[in-house]
Amino acid sequence: MSADRIGSYAEALVAVVAAEGDLVAAEDELFAVAQALAGADELREVLADRRIPAARRQQIVEDLLGGQAAETTVALVSMVVGAGRGGDLVRIIEAAVERSAGLRKVAVAEVRSAVALSEHQQRRLAEALQRATGKDVTVKAVVDPAVMGGVVTRIGDEVIDGSVRTRINQLREAF
Amino acid sequence: MRSPNPPRRGLLARSRRYVLAGATVLAAGLWFGASPVAAAGESVGTCVLEKYNEHTYGGQTGSYAVKAAKADKEFGSTAAEENIVELEGKLEGCLESPNPILPETTEIIWGGIAFAVLLGLMQWKLFPAVKRSMDRRAEKIRGDLDAAETARTEALEVKASYEAELADARAEASRIIDAARADAEGVRADLIARAEAEAAELRQRSDLDVEAAKRQALSDLQSEVSAIVIGAAETVIGRNLDHDTQVQLIESYIDDVGSRN
Repeated sequence: MSADRIGSYAEALVAVVAAEGDLVAAEDELFAVAQALAGADELREVLADRRIPAARRQQIVEDLLGGQAAETTVALVSMVVGAGRGGDLVRIIEAAVERSAGLRKVAVAEVRSAVALSEHQQRRLAEALQRATGKDVTVKAVVDPAVMGGVVTRIGDEVIDGSVRTRINQLREAF
Repeated sequence: MRSPNPPRRGLLARSRRYVLAGATVLAAGLWFGASPVAAAGESVGTCVLEKYNEHTYGGQTGSYAVKAAKADKEFGSTAAEENIVELEGKLEGCLESPNPILPETTEIIWGGIAFAVLLGLMQWKLFPAVKRSMDRRAEKIRGDLDAAETARTEALEVKASYEAELADARAEASRIIDAARADAEGVRADLIARAEAEAAELRQRSDLDVEAAKRQALSDLQSEVSAIVIGAAETVIGRNLDHDTQVQLIESYIDDVGSRN
């Protein structure tokens, strides 16, 4: 799928979310959906399989997200899957989150850690990132056991890696 | 090839003819001179008849005298017997030549005429035919000799050419053998040099392989050891990363990011 088409779908999602009002909550839910799909290869393949009827794939989305996300979020994800773009759903959501944050004049910081960050830690980290980058930052925290310990932050193309996993890898390469 | 002096050969042929004619004349003279009839100068019958008619006995002549002598001899007359013996002696004398060498004149004349005629005929017909035959034969022999000489010359030329070619062939063969020997020597030297180079290259490559294998083994061993050590460290670190440590790491990370400006 071309970048223009992904951008068009992302703009459509952002427009709907903005129209509904709670932009930050919708961003968080869409980001969580994208993170869940990124770690579920089989689910992504099913949602992208055009041999499966669109109604069936949309039903799968609604069954998974129903009751756990806002109706708007479920409807948007279901819309993308029904349009046959389930294979690009993660990229569309990431682009939508970036654009939504852009509307709010903030940068999205994807923060991965082995254990969940507390609200206090997220706020302090946002402030620290703001000082480091000079931008307003919204933190999207992801629990990733592969990090082992520490934190990995990605803001756009910039990565600030303080994970134990990376240090062990560096030690392995040094040998 | 023709003789350079043909007239001299004609003179010799003529001399041979004269010698042959002389020999023929001498043989004829001897033949006629040795004949008793020729020696008497008359025929034997004439001589016998003359002696018989001149014979006398008892006053009678000729056949009467012979008959009378034979009759008296039968009656034992010695004179008659002697008379008959005398007659027989005379008759036998008719059979003997008075000159064994020189014949009678008439015989010589007739013999000479006959010889001259015979010689003329031979000179006219026989000798030219014989001469032509001998000339043809001589010409043929000369031709054969010339052909033989030509063939001999050609054979000598062919032989010389053959020997020259043979010498060339031998020289060429010798040159080819020398060249082949030189080539073989060159190939041999090249093969030896190549084999030595390959052997040296093999030794060098073998040394390099051994060295590379050694380095690879050390590297593998180091990697394996490091993997074991890192794995063990990872396990130990994973076990020691309790909640407090995680919080501490996160706080440390936040402080570190906050200190970046």
